[in-house]
Amino acid sequence: MNPFSIIWKFLDRTYHRLASPREFYGIAQYMTPIFGLLSLALILSGAYLGLFKAPADYQQGDSFRIIYVHVPAAWLSLMVYTIMAVAAAIGMVWRMKMAFVVAICSAPLGAVFTALALITGSIWGKPIWGTWWTWDARLTSELILLFLYFGVMATYHAFEERKTAEKAMAMLSIVGIVIVPIIHYSVEWWSSLHQGATVFAEGGPRMPSDMLTPLLLMIAGFMFFYGYALFLSAQNMVLNNERKSRWVRDLIQNTGDSQ
Amino acid sequence: MSTLILYFHREWLLMFRNTGALVQPLVFFVIIALLFPFSLPAEVNLLQSIGGGVIWVAAVLATLLSLESMFHADYQDGTLEQAVIHQRNLPAAMLGKVIAHWTATGLFLSLFSPVLCITFNIPVDQFWVLFVGLLLGTPSLTLIGAIGAALTVTLRRGGVLIAVIILPLYIPILIFGAGMISQSEQGLETISQVYTLAAILTLSLTLAPFAIAGALKATIN
Repeated sequence: MNPFSIIWKFLDRTYHRLASPREFYGIAQYMTPIFGLLSLALILSGAYLGLFKAPADYQQGDSFRIIYVHVPAAWLSLMVYTIMAVAAAIGMVWRMKMAFVVAICSAPLGAVFTALALITGSIWGKPIWGTWWTWDARLTSELILLFLYFGVMATYHAFEERKTAEKAMAMLSIVGIVIVPIIHYSVEWWSSLHQGATVFAEGGPRMPSDMLTPLLLMIAGFMFFYGYALFLSAQNMVLNNERKSRWVRDLIQNTGDSQ
Repeated sequence: MSTLILYFHREWLLMFRNTGALVQPLVFFVIIALLFPFSLPAEVNLLQSIGGGVIWVAAVLATLLSLESMFHADYQDGTLEQAVIHQRNLPAAMLGKVIAHWTATGLFLSLFSPVLCITFNIPVDQFWVLFVGLLLGTPSLTLIGAIGAALTVTLRRGGVLIAVIILPLYIPILIFGAGMISQSEQGLETISQVYTLAAILTLSLTLAPFAIAGALKATIN
C-alpha cells in the first residue's frame, strides 16, 4: 500500500465521520476545550509580547499596537468568509448536512470579526490618518463584506423550511466569494490610505521579528478562537436540528440524570 | 441557443402586452433622480457635480424595484416550477428571460439618461460617458439582481430581503459607473472604468445564469 492511499483513507474516514451530526457532536465535544485553551494561551502570550515587549513604532509610537487586534480580525474576516463559501459549496454538491451547519454558524462569527476590524481600524485611523473613516477601496470593500454577512444571515432566517434556507444561504455565500480577492488586492489595485501588504510582502515581512512574532501569535490565537466558537455554535445547532432523533434525546436524558 | 431565444421572445411578448407595468421602472427612475434637485439648494455647480452619482443611484433603485416582478408571475402560475423541473438548459432559459427583462429596464434607463443629464446641467459632451456607463453597468445589475430575485421568489415578502442581499453586490458597479462620470468631469481618462465595467459584465453574463438556475433549484421544490 502506498502512503498516499493511506492518507486518502484517513481523510476519507474523517470526512465521513465529520459528515454525521452525531459523530461531529462527539468530536466537537473534546475538540472544544483544546481549541479554547490554545486560543487563550496564544492570545494572552501574543497580547503580552505585543503590548509590553515589542518596541514602539518610530513613526506611530505606541498607537501602532492596535495592530495586534486589527490585523487578526481583518484576516479572520476574509478567512471565515472563504470557509463559509467552501463549506456552502460542499453542502450544495455533496448534500452534506454538517457543511451547511458550519457555513451557517460561520456567518455571525465572520460578521463580528469584520465589525471588529472596521472598528479597530477606525480607532487606529483617527490619530494616524486624522480621520475616522475614508472612502477608499480597502475600507469600502471591507464594509461590503459586513453587509454580505448580514445578507447571508438574513437569507437563512427568511425561510421557514430549514433545507430551503440552507440551500438559499449557500447559493448567496458562493456568489459573494468574489468580494474576497477584491478586498485582499484592494491595496495594490487602487492607491489607498491603507498601507499595503506587510506580512506577506515580496522579499519577506517588512517588520522586525519582535513586532511580527506577537502578531502571528495573535492571528493563530484568533484562528483557534474561531474554531472554538464554531464548534460551540455548531454543537448547539446540531442539537436543535436533530432534536427529534434518538441520540439527542438519550444525550439530554443522560445529562439530566447525572445532575 | 434556441432555448435562450425562445424564453427571450416569450418574456418580450409578455412584457410588451402590459405596457403599464413596462414604463413603471422608467418613471420611478426619473422621479427618484428628480427628487434630488428638489431637496437640494438650486446651485448649478452642486447639481452638476452630484448629477452622475444621483442618476446611477436612481438606476440601481429602479433595477432593484423591477426585480421582484421578474419571476413572480411565472412562479404564481406554475410556469417557473415547470421550467425548473423539465428544462434541461435552465441557465440559458433564464439568461433569455433576464436579457428580455433588461431591455425593458436597463436599456430604457440608459436611453433616457441624457434627458436627466439636462436637468442636472451636465455638459453635453459628457452625456455619452454616462450613457456608455449605464449601458455597460445595467445588464450586470439585472443579472446579479436576478440571483437575488430567484433566491427570494418563494417568499411572500421578499422585497426587503432582495435589497439586503443584492445592494452590497451592486456597490462595486456603482463605484465604477459613478466614478467614470466624476473622472471625466475633471478631464481625466475614463477608459479604465469602461474596461472594468465590461469585465464585470462579462463575468456576470457567464456566471450569473448558472447561479440563477442554482438558486431557483434550491428554493423551488
